[in-house]
Amino acid sequence: MKIIKRDKLKDLLNSFAKNAQTLAPVKENDTIKFLPWKGQGEIDLSQNALLPPKDLLFPQTEVMYRYTDGGVQGEITDVAAAAERQVIFGIRPCDVRSLTMMDDVFMTKGYEDDYYKSKRENTILISLGCNEPQPTCFCTSMGIDMMEADGADIVMYDLGEKLALEPKTDAGEQLLNDVDVLEDGAAEKPVAKECQLKADAEGLAEKLAQMFHHSYWEDLSRTCIGCGTCTYLCPTCHCFDIRRKNIGEEGFQFRCWDSCMFSEYTRMAGGHNPRPSKKERVRNRFLHKLQYFPERYGKVACVGCGRCVGKCPVNIDITRIIGELREVSVDE
Amino acid sequence: MINVQQLRDRAKELLESGEVKYVFGWRKGTFWYQSPPVIISKAEDADKLIWDEFCLNNLSKYLLDYKNLDGKIAIFVKGCDSRGVNRLIQDQQVKRESVVLIGLPCPGMKDPQLAREMGESKLNEVPKIEKCAQCLTPNPVEYDELMGDEVAAGLAVEERFVRVQDLESKSADEKYEFWQQQYDKCIRCFACRNVCPACNCRECCFDQSEPEWLGKRVVTAENQFFALTRAMHVAGRCIECGECERVCPMDIPIMSLNKKIIKDINGLFGEYDAGVNVEDKPPLGRFDENDPEEFM
Ligand code: SF4
Ligand code: SF4
Ligand code: SF4
Ligand code: SF4
Ligand code: SF4
Repeated sequence: MKIIKRDKLKDLLNSFAKNAQTLAPVKENDTIKFLPWKGQGEIDLSQNALLPPKDLLFPQTEVMYRYTDGGVQGEITDVAAAAERQVIFGIRPCDVRSLTMMDDVFMTKGYEDDYYKSKRENTILISLGCNEPQPTCFCTSMGIDMMEADGADIVMYDLGEKLALEPKTDAGEQLLNDVDVLEDGAAEKPVAKECQLKADAEGLAEKLAQMFHHSYWEDLSRTCIGCGTCTYLCPTCHCFDIRRKNIGEEGFQFRCWDSCMFSEYTRMAGGHNPRPSKKERVRNRFLHKLQYFPERYGKVACVGCGRCVGKCPVNIDITRIIGELREVSVDE
Repeated sequence: MINVQQLRDRAKELLESGEVKYVFGWRKGTFWYQSPPVIISKAEDADKLIWDEFCLNNLSKYLLDYKNLDGKIAIFVKGCDSRGVNRLIQDQQVKRESVVLIGLPCPGMKDPQLAREMGESKLNEVPKIEKCAQCLTPNPVEYDELMGDEVAAGLAVEERFVRVQDLESKSADEKYEFWQQQYDKCIRCFACRNVCPACNCRECCFDQSEPEWLGKRVVTAENQFFALTRAMHVAGRCIECGECERVCPMDIPIMSLNKKIIKDINGLFGEYDAGVNVEDKPPLGRFDENDPEEFM
C-alpha cells in the first residue's frame, strides 16, 4: 500500500501527467467534472463529479471519420485513431461499476466498438472510496461496496490528511512504481457511513416483463418534462445518434449522445413515432434500466449514483419508482 | 401559510363534482426540501397535495399536454404560474375557459440546495431561492378564486436588473468570454426549454432534423446558437419565472440573458411585463408607429 499526503496530491497528478493524459475531478465554474490535469486547478474530492466519467470513453460528441466528396475518388480518413493512454483519478465505485456496463454494451455480444474499445484498453482507473455518501446516493442497494471498486486498477482510500493507494492490477502496480512521490505504508480501510436512500430492484425484471401495458406508466410520466437531464447525467445510459456534417467539399461523420426522453429519438423518416408521448418514453427509460438490460446482460443498469435523483427538475426518483413497481399489482 | 387542508378539500370537491378532470398541484418529494409537481385525476389522491416552502415548479407548462382534453383542468397558481397561464392563453395554446385557476399568494420559495446544506432545524433561516427573491408578482395576476391573503410585493424594482448591470459593465470581449465559458458547460438536455411556458411551439426548431437548424454536436458554436436563439425567441414573452435557470443541471445563469433582453425591450418599447395582463400585446408582437427604427 502507498500513502500520499493530501497537500502532495498535485505532485502525484503531475507525475502521472508526464506519461499519460490524466483526468481528475476539478471544480470549474461551480461544477465538479473530470478535466485533463494540466498542473493547476482545484481538485475537488468532496463529492462525486456531476458529469459522469463515461464522457471520457464515450464522448458526448465524437468524430468517427472524415471524408472528401469526390465520388469514387472520395477519401475516408481518420477512422477510429488509436487512443492515447489515460489515467482517470478519483473515480467513484459506482462509476467504476458503470464502466463495466459500458463494456458490456460496447465490447460484448459479437460487436466491438473500436472507438470505445481503444480508449477503454488504454485507460487506468484509480478509484476513490466514499467515506460519506451524499443524501441522493444508494449504491449499496445496487450491490456496490463504497470502499472497493471491482474493475479499478488502483483502489484509493480517503484517510483525511492522507490518501492510501492499493494497486489491484499489474497496470496499476506499474503506474505506482513509476512515480516517486508516494511513501510505503499501511493504513486501515475507513468505514463508510450508510446510504440513507434505498432501493431493491432484485427480481423486478420478471414482474416488469408483464407490465408493459400497465397504467402505472401513464401516471408516472405526467409530470416528466421530457428533458435529457436524467439520461445525460446517468453513467450507464449509452444511447447515441450518428450524423454527418458537410463543409464545402469535405465533411465528417460524428456520433453524439442521444436520449430516449426526447421526442425525436424514435421519430422515423416520414414522421411516424412509435413512442409518441411521454408515457412510452418514461416507460422505456425505466424498462431499459430494470428489465431489458438485466435480461440481456444479467444486471440492473443503475449503479445508484443518485445523479438523476438529485437533478431531475420534477423529482422523478428511481428509488421511489422501484419501490412503487414492487408494490403495484400486475393486473392493475 | 395557507392551510394545506383547504387545498386538498377544494381539489377533492372539484374532482368529485366532475367540474374538472385534473388538478395540477405539488406533492412532497423524496427529501424534505423538495415539493415537485403532481397531477391528479382522482379525488382520493387529493391528499397528496401540499403547499409549503418548496413548491418551486411552475405548473402552467403542463397545460400543453392536455390541449385536446374534453373537460377542464384546475391549477393552483402562484404569481409566476398565473403569468405562465396567461402566456399560454396569449400564445393561443390554452383557452381561459378551460382552466380553473386557484390563486395562492406566494411568500417566496426557499432555496432547496441551501436547505439541504443548512438542515431541517434551520428551515426558518433558509433564504429564498434567487428566482423568488427576484419576483415582481408573488400574488396571482389572474385567478377564479383566491386562497389566503395577498402578500406584499417583494422586490424593489431597482434590484431587478442587478445582474444585468454586472454584465453591462464588461467589455465586449469579456462578455463573449463569460458566455462562452457558461455555454460550454451546456449538455443540451433542453430542460430549460422544456420547462418554459414561453417555449410552446408545436414543434420546436431545435427538434427538427430536416432542415437541421441546430446541429447535434455539443460544441461551442452550436451551444451558442442554441442559447441565443432561445433567448431571442422568448424575448418580450418571458414571464421571468426563473424556471429555466433553476432546472439547468449545469447552473448556467440563463436569467442574466433573459433579464438583459427584458431591460432592453423596456428601454426601447416602454415598460412591459409579460403575462401580467393578457390583453397587452407583447412588444415584439405588435406594431406602433412610434417604435424606434434605428436600423432602417
Ligand atoms: S439511473 Fe440515476 S441513480 Fe441510477 S445510475 Fe443512472 S443516474 Fe445514477
Ligand atoms: S425524468 Fe426528470 S430528468 Fe428525466 S426527462 Fe423526465 S423531467 Fe427530465
Ligand atoms: S417566482 Fe414569485 S410567485 Fe413564483 S414561486 Fe417565486 S416568489 Fe412565488
Ligand atoms: S425563459 Fe425562463 S424565466 Fe422566461 S418564461 Fe421561460 S422558463 Fe420562465
Ligand atoms: S438546461 Fe442548461 S444544460 Fe440543459 S440545455 Fe438548457 S442551458 Fe443547456
